[in-house]
Amino acid sequence: MFFKRSQNDTPAAKKAEAAAVAAAGAAAALPVDDLRRVVDPASLGFASTDDLEPISGLIGQDRALKALEFGTSIKSHDYNIFVLGPPASGKTTAVRQQLVAKAAKAATPHDWAYVYNFSAPNRPKALCLPHGRAKLLAQGMIGALTELRSVVPGVFEGDDYQARRRAIDEEFRSSQEAAFEALNTKAQMQNIALLRTPTGFTMAPMHEGKVVKPEVFNALPENMRREVENKIEALQKELGDILARVPKADKKRRAALTELNEEVARVAVHEALDELGAAFADVPAAIAYLNDAGADLISNIALFLASEEENAVVRQPLDTAHDVRFRRYMVNVITSNGAEGAAGAPVVEEINPTYGNLVGRVEHIAQMGTLVTDFLLIKPGALHSANGGFLMLDVRKLLLSPFAWEALKRALKAQMIRIEQPMEAAGLISTQSLDPEPIPLDVRVVLFGDREIYYLLVALDPDFVRLFKVQADFDDSIVRSEENDRAFARLVASIVKEHGLQPVDASGVARVIDEGARLADHREKLSIEIGRIADIVREADHWAKSSGRSVTTREDIEQAIEAHMQRSDRLRDRSLETFEQKVMLVDVEGAKVGQINGLSVLQLGSFAFGRPSRITARVRLGSGRVTDIEREVKLGGPLHSKGVMILWGYLAGQFALDVPLALAASLVFEQSYGGVDGDSASSAELYALLSALAEVPIKQTLAVTGSVNQLGEVQAIGGVNEKIEGFFDVCRQRGLTKSQGVLIPQANVQHLMLRQDVVEAVRKGEFAVYAVSSISQGIEILTGVKAGERGSDGRFPEGTVNRLVEDKLRVFAERGRDFTRKNAEDQKR
Amino acid sequence: MIAHVAQAGEDRGRVVLQVCSPQPNALALLAAVKIAQAFQSEIESLFIEDTQLFDCAAFGFVQEVSLSGRSHKKLSADDVAQSLKLAAQGARRELERLARSVDVPLRTRTVRDDPLQALRTACSEVGPWNVVALSEPFTGGFSRTVKQMFEAIEGTTGLILVGPRARRVTGPTVIALEDLDRLPDLTRAAERLAAIDDAMIAVLLIAPDAPRLQHMDTLARIALAGREKLRIDHAVVARGAPAAAAEALRRQGAGFVICQFGGAVVPEEGDLGPLAAALECPLLLVR
Repeated sequence: MFFKRSQNDTPAAKKAEAAAVAAAGAAAALPVDDLRRVVDPASLGFASTDDLEPISGLIGQDRALKALEFGTSIKSHDYNIFVLGPPASGKTTAVRQQLVAKAAKAATPHDWAYVYNFSAPNRPKALCLPHGRAKLLAQGMIGALTELRSVVPGVFEGDDYQARRRAIDEEFRSSQEAAFEALNTKAQMQNIALLRTPTGFTMAPMHEGKVVKPEVFNALPENMRREVENKIEALQKELGDILARVPKADKKRRAALTELNEEVARVAVHEALDELGAAFADVPAAIAYLNDAGADLISNIALFLASEEENAVVRQPLDTAHDVRFRRYMVNVITSNGAEGAAGAPVVEEINPTYGNLVGRVEHIAQMGTLVTDFLLIKPGALHSANGGFLMLDVRKLLLSPFAWEALKRALKAQMIRIEQPMEAAGLISTQSLDPEPIPLDVRVVLFGDREIYYLLVALDPDFVRLFKVQADFDDSIVRSEENDRAFARLVASIVKEHGLQPVDASGVARVIDEGARLADHREKLSIEIGRIADIVREADHWAKSSGRSVTTREDIEQAIEAHMQRSDRLRDRSLETFEQKVMLVDVEGAKVGQINGLSVLQLGSFAFGRPSRITARVRLGSGRVTDIEREVKLGGPLHSKGVMILWGYLAGQFALDVPLALAASLVFEQSYGGVDGDSASSAELYALLSALAEVPIKQTLAVTGSVNQLGEVQAIGGVNEKIEGFFDVCRQRGLTKSQGVLIPQANVQHLMLRQDVVEAVRKGEFAVYAVSSISQGIEILTGVKAGERGSDGRFPEGTVNRLVEDKLRVFAERGRDFTRKNAEDQKR
Repeated sequence: MIAHVAQAGEDRGRVVLQVCSPQPNALALLAAVKIAQAFQSEIESLFIEDTQLFDCAAFGFVQEVSLSGRSHKKLSADDVAQSLKLAAQGARRELERLARSVDVPLRTRTVRDDPLQALRTACSEVGPWNVVALSEPFTGGFSRTVKQMFEAIEGTTGLILVGPRARRVTGPTVIALEDLDRLPDLTRAAERLAAIDDAMIAVLLIAPDAPRLQHMDTLARIALAGREKLRIDHAVVARGAPAAAAEALRRQGAGFVICQFGGAVVPEEGDLGPLAAALECPLLLVR
């Protein structure tokens, strides 16, 4: 039978009580001013944003803007730009503004058009024209064709043409008819009939205009019959000769007709194209095209002579531009620059950078069950539109679009835009389609993305580094200063102006600046997450208007922030509920050995909140091993495991200099069912372990965050504000006892921008925040017992936590040695 | 006179289409159908197997020279009959398609006879007001044949001819008028033809000199007063100048031409070559 002893009855606890007296007062809570930096509205020097000049561009982004300036100025095809930075930071708008300003001063690029290739129809020709003139050429061609449509039928119906044509026809016909008539007459004179059969001609003896009946003919004397047969044979030969001459004569007729047609057409075509030729006399490529088109028009002049069928079906002739007969003479304008006074280089932003939208595509139309295409169905891509200027792309969308990234790199490397079917480019299909001439590319591509993608591309894609040599790295926050606070206020003014909001007064702006610091997680910095700032101001505008105010005030900004939080914090409420209902076991009163409140942060979309977790430690005699239960069950991430190993290193270095570490310990995050990562709980785990070894209870009124190194120094962690607020919420729920608080690393004091209610509680002495820089400091606050420093005798002072730990470890070591010896003796026996 | 073409069911005449050629002119078939449609008549299609061809085939020494002139072969009656039969089938199919598309009743039959005699017999069988349509384009020396036909076939009031350059049946219906007495009945015929396509009627007054033309114009305008979609044009054509008459007609861009046989346009005797070269539409030649 044994009696359970109270923890305070142990010898170690008694010694600790003595040391606690000495440690009292060693830990001082942070003053209220350190918990939140607040802007005094009066210090801003304006009444409302109406008094401020809206800011254009970005604030505090000199490095990125210089990079951008360099990237847009350098004349080299591979100095494309990657803009890194957090989303919704306003970088796209700012970069666009800068590019537009730069482009306005740049030379206006040439126009490009695709035209029919009369010598190789499946390879449409790319025509380069001075800016603003591609459309003129296209319109000019339509005009010329329209003119030909009205002129050509008249010319070919005209007396001159008809007379000459009839002369040719008549020459042919009369020569044939004359020969035929002569033969017919000759035959008739010899009483031979010439008859047409279904497939040719035949001859037979004739009498009085009719073929002689065979029985009558057979009754004739032999010599007469023979004579007739001979005549017929001779005439048939003659007939054969005449007929054989027909194709040759017809060929000659057709040649003469072709010559006549071309002569007449040439005049009409030249007259129609002359004006256009004169307008483009300074563009040799255009003149060459017009010559080709003219030659083709002359040889296909029949296109302008409407057929009977067309007249029967389509009473109203089609508009020339839409008449399929003339498609080959149309001009497909791919890019047209400088029109309507828009001089300068283009700045294009492609929001959906698919393969086709990027490099262009050849579209098809369904016709009689098949898909057909021609050069007019070539559609330009963003590279065409931006050629000679700047192209802005979102790198994430680009990488998610199949084939698009490779296509962009191909184009940039080759400095050519080649339109291919994606499957064709990948070598997967090879159907005969159009192969448009590539167009030379001179573009500066500006990619937008976050840092993670940038560094992934740098690591994984060698082409990326070669082609995107300029990185414009946008900071997500700026250092706080009077000047920057004022610039931030102007930023609020520009948001007000851009969105047409009512003015924000100085108190409201000051609150927005405070929130900027909170978003930056740093009291000395301001977040420039423009999207979120704009959301706050716009929502506050809504609340102000709902309350009938004509100026947005601090109250409205508060309401906007609060309402946003309320919309997002359903899970936080559920989490608090679990603490209230004791589903999650956390003590916020009393003291316990080997048990401590750790803190963690849950990030849910744009909303993060902290919450406490119970961490416990158990120790016993062992072979020198700390069991991290999270790691054993694979719930612990690598950083967490690293933290646990570090604290083992601390124990060994601090306490086991001359004795073996005969310790077995287990550490666990109680009621943790998801993964645990990060080392921000490593100091809490160490405190729990020390408490368990020293058998000194830890105050459960306190919670701890901070990582630790092997030397026992407490290091900075992230999410310090959310963690403190998370514990505060649980304590407030259970009732504030004026003894509750949180230990944070000293290095995190600069990050404190706590909620106003937490600050108020601290001001009233209901809650406290302690900053520690070492484990010794922390353990003293947590236990109220001195940590202790090694004296000249190499030992820690009696009653200190460290002495108690060391003693326990020595006991473990001795027992371990005894156990090993006894075991060896037993085996020997 | 073509004041009247017998209507379908009237049994007093119809459009009699003579098909002798193995490859009948498509526009000639269309012209026949259009006339039948205009006068709500029916078509009697006569596929004629010329007996003389069978007589020829009976001679052992007679050969057939191909259209290219490059091959000569023995002419056989069976081959001739088979070829004619196949040609008639093809022509019948095309004709049936055309007639069906405009709801014109069609009768077809094949006869083995002399072509002229076959027409004469057919016309006499079905009444006095027939119009004979010829499926083969006419040539320069055709006037003698036309004359023969008008003389031999009493039961016809007109002939439908197409030239070798015929290519349309749409456009204004042109009356080539040389005798003002014929104006009313030719106009009525033209109106029925024009009504099919809602086409214009053009009256081309033809006279050997300007004063006579002026006189004709005055009277024609009085006679045609109040009619819509009708125009009057002039052409001075001296007798014996068929080329001038042909050119005047060509300029009209007609879809159908109606004219009188024996005038300046189609003389009783003379060369039809200029007309054949100029005419791009069917010609309804009336007595």
